[in-house]
Amino acid sequence: MSLLDIFKRVSAPIARMSKRPPPPAAEELFDDDFQRKLEYLAIVSRRVFAGRVRAERRTKKSGSGVEFADHRDYVPGDDFRYLDWNVYRRFGRLLVRLYEEEEDLSIYLVIDASSSMGFSSKRKFRYAQRLCAALAYVGLANLDRITIVATTDRIEERLPTARGKARIFKVLQFLRGLEPSGTTDLGDAMKTFVAQHKRRGLVILLSDLYDPHGFEKGINVVRYNKFEPFVIHIVDASDAALKLSGDVRIYDCETGDEREVTVTPKVLAQYRQAYQAYLSEIKKFCTERQVPYVPADVEVPFDDLVLRVLRRGGFLA
Amino acid sequence: MHFLGLPSSTLLAIGIAAGAIIVGLYILKLRRRPVPVPFSNIWQRILRDQDATSLFSQLKRILSLLLQLLLLALLVLALGDPRGFASRSARNVVVLVDGSASMKAVDVATTLEPNRTRMEAAKDEAKKIIRGLGGADRMLLAQMDAAVTPLSTMTGEVADLEASVAVLRATDTRADFARSLRFATDVLRGLSSPEIIVISDGNLGEPRDSAGEVHLGAASLSFVPVGSGHRNVAITEFSVRRYPLDRDRYEVMLELYNTSTQPEEIELDLIGDGNLVDMTKLRLNAGERLPRFYPNLSGARRTLEAVIKLAGGGHDDLPADDRAYALLPDQRRIRVLCVTAGNTYLEAALLLTTYLDVTYLAPGEYPPPSGQSFDVTIFDGVAPRPAPGSGSLLYLDPSGDGSPVKVDPAPLVNVGFDTIDKKSPFLKWTAIDDVYIGNAHKLTPQPGDKVIGASEKGALLVTGRREGERFVALGFDPRESDLVLRIAWPLFVLNVLTEFVAEDISYLSSFRTGEVWHVPIPTLSDEVWVTSPGSQVRHRAPVQDGRAVYLGLEAGFYTLEVGPQGGAIKSEFAANLADPEESSIEPKTSVVVDGKTAGPVAGFHIGVRSEWWITLLLLAMAITTVEWATYHRRITV
Repeated sequence: MSLLDIFKRVSAPIARMSKRPPPPAAEELFDDDFQRKLEYLAIVSRRVFAGRVRAERRTKKSGSGVEFADHRDYVPGDDFRYLDWNVYRRFGRLLVRLYEEEEDLSIYLVIDASSSMGFSSKRKFRYAQRLCAALAYVGLANLDRITIVATTDRIEERLPTARGKARIFKVLQFLRGLEPSGTTDLGDAMKTFVAQHKRRGLVILLSDLYDPHGFEKGINVVRYNKFEPFVIHIVDASDAALKLSGDVRIYDCETGDEREVTVTPKVLAQYRQAYQAYLSEIKKFCTERQVPYVPADVEVPFDDLVLRVLRRGGFLA
Repeated sequence: MHFLGLPSSTLLAIGIAAGAIIVGLYILKLRRRPVPVPFSNIWQRILRDQDATSLFSQLKRILSLLLQLLLLALLVLALGDPRGFASRSARNVVVLVDGSASMKAVDVATTLEPNRTRMEAAKDEAKKIIRGLGGADRMLLAQMDAAVTPLSTMTGEVADLEASVAVLRATDTRADFARSLRFATDVLRGLSSPEIIVISDGNLGEPRDSAGEVHLGAASLSFVPVGSGHRNVAITEFSVRRYPLDRDRYEVMLELYNTSTQPEEIELDLIGDGNLVDMTKLRLNAGERLPRFYPNLSGARRTLEAVIKLAGGGHDDLPADDRAYALLPDQRRIRVLCVTAGNTYLEAALLLTTYLDVTYLAPGEYPPPSGQSFDVTIFDGVAPRPAPGSGSLLYLDPSGDGSPVKVDPAPLVNVGFDTIDKKSPFLKWTAIDDVYIGNAHKLTPQPGDKVIGASEKGALLVTGRREGERFVALGFDPRESDLVLRIAWPLFVLNVLTEFVAEDISYLSSFRTGEVWHVPIPTLSDEVWVTSPGSQVRHRAPVQDGRAVYLGLEAGFYTLEVGPQGGAIKSEFAANLADPEESSIEPKTSVVVDGKTAGPVAGFHIGVRSEWWITLLLLAMAITTVEWATYHRRITV
């Protein structure tokens, strides 16, 4: 490799960065209007979950709660107080009553802060920031334990667990400080995440899922470690409608991988088909594994999407 | 194949250099425009399919390179101006195109070109020959009319030859065939495969001149006939003159000639100064020559034209000879200076006509004040040296050192005219053979002089020229004879005056085209300009013996300007075709020269001389267009 080639390779990302349009100011993300919408969403969420006790989430963990959950066979060492004597009298079997243990729900908001989220004027990332802020506010308003994690191929930033509406400003400040950069590797990032967070809970993943190592890895890591994944797929339609023509050299905005392509209408059509197939693939994966999946088009107002997420269930219910 | 453009070595160098650049550019490849994409894995999915056809893509790229190299090769070849080898040796051709008056015939007219002349047809034939020239052939184009005019060099350049074809034009003269053939043989002498091609209607006359018959030598002769019609009625003679003693009237003589093989009814119009003077309907039999004389005409002051047209309307095949032109002599009075001490008989004779402007001067007052000029000066009893502007001279009993002839001082007593030249115009209508002369002097003429009347003892009436001016000398005082008592005396005086002035008048009536004219000029000057009919271009004419020398090729009225610009004296003269042979327009199918009949033109085929560079350029453009179209439709990329 010649010296000239090395110089070109080094200077190429700088040159590309200089050609990008300036991103919108982060301060504009969470303006007064946004905060009014957050309050509205908090009220609406209360209506959706009216009658339920705040901060009481039944977990699958059996414990000392009051709500009956199930029976299991008695094994030596079990507390006699939980033996179901009625069952024993009717069926002659010793069964122990299990109760759902009541505890605070931990909600982990994992926001993808890789470079692909900043593609096309950071529309996806700004949308994810707003969505994350809205969901965090709803959670905080319901006295849940909210933790926000920004990932790329590792854990970039982490907002310590917060609880209560008063912490929303910390959340906004945290989100405002994020900028998309780096490559995506959800698998590695989630491995780090589960290692750092022993308390199981709901993991809401806000990402475009442009993971060169496969989007499945990150979700599976969450699943396999007893977290409840909830995928909010940030989708920008402009990613599928690239305005390209002629002989070009495309490069990945994250990895910098280059490829020479002669773009024709036929190639563009093939690309659109491949893009839709990729989206379908993600949806199918989540559906088959009963992972809640919500596509989030950046053209859809974020508050509408929050309501869809709330109605989709699994978040507050 | 050989190259007429850049040398082969240069072409090779250009080809190698440009080819290396193209190949180098293909190897280096132009850096493509970098475009970021959010997720290249999706692209990899679709490009995986394209990779399967990478071999085809490479083939297409090679094809593109080959196309570029092909384009380069075509352009380099075009720069070389390649020509095919001639299948025979290079020919040297002289094409003689007939520019005579008969080539103005419109018998080859078509519906689309109603005014198409034989000359236009000849031009087309010349163009065919030019386009049929072989790669190494060379050709010279010349027009033959009264002279032979080369219109190009001996060249193989089609553009130059076609440009010279455009210059061809028919004149109102006959073709000097012999001179043209001598010119062609001189041009072709020593050249390989010499060939003379004559494009004509065949009315060229005999190929013979004062040097004898023309010999073609090694040159072959081909003949391209043009023309088909023969219907023509021509004006072959046309002349006009004023009556000397009644200058308001004039008489016209003309001759009509029907060269057709059928009788023709025609209308003959005489037009004076643009107004119709006379109109006549005539019938001419086939081949008939009809002279016509129109006496006592009036109504024109300066110009006279004769026009014929077919009685049924329209015109014959050659309109060029349907019109003739003549110029009437100047109607001004004859300016006469009479140097006399007093002579009643002479004064009485000069009073007989009103067309004289007579100035009398005593012998002691001669010469007249400078600046005055006269047509005729009469010296009565004296003979001083003639002053400039004296015009023609009439001496009556000359005595003095200015006498044009030697006068014997010894008197001749009681003599008469024993010999008289009765054909002399000076003695027209006179009877002087019995005149009694009491006292006379013998005149001694010089060589070139002519004795008109003489007694047995010597010459008494002599005419001749001195310093370009005519003179008549009478060797006795008329008053010492009974001549003054006879009617012959005033007739003699008026005859002399009329003859002196009438000479130029008759000469100016009209000239014949195709001949070298010697046009009298009204004043002595070296600056003489001639303007042709219908032209604004002036041609300077040399002056010789007081006359402008000019070769006129067109019929009509010419303008003559003498003297420096601004103060030039303008006059006119007329010229006519007046050539019965040229009016006989029936085309001939063969031409015989040097005992050999000219054959048809052979070996000139359009396309033989293919200029390949045009084809190569067109091919390159076509390939570029196809490549452009396929590229933009992503067929070849």
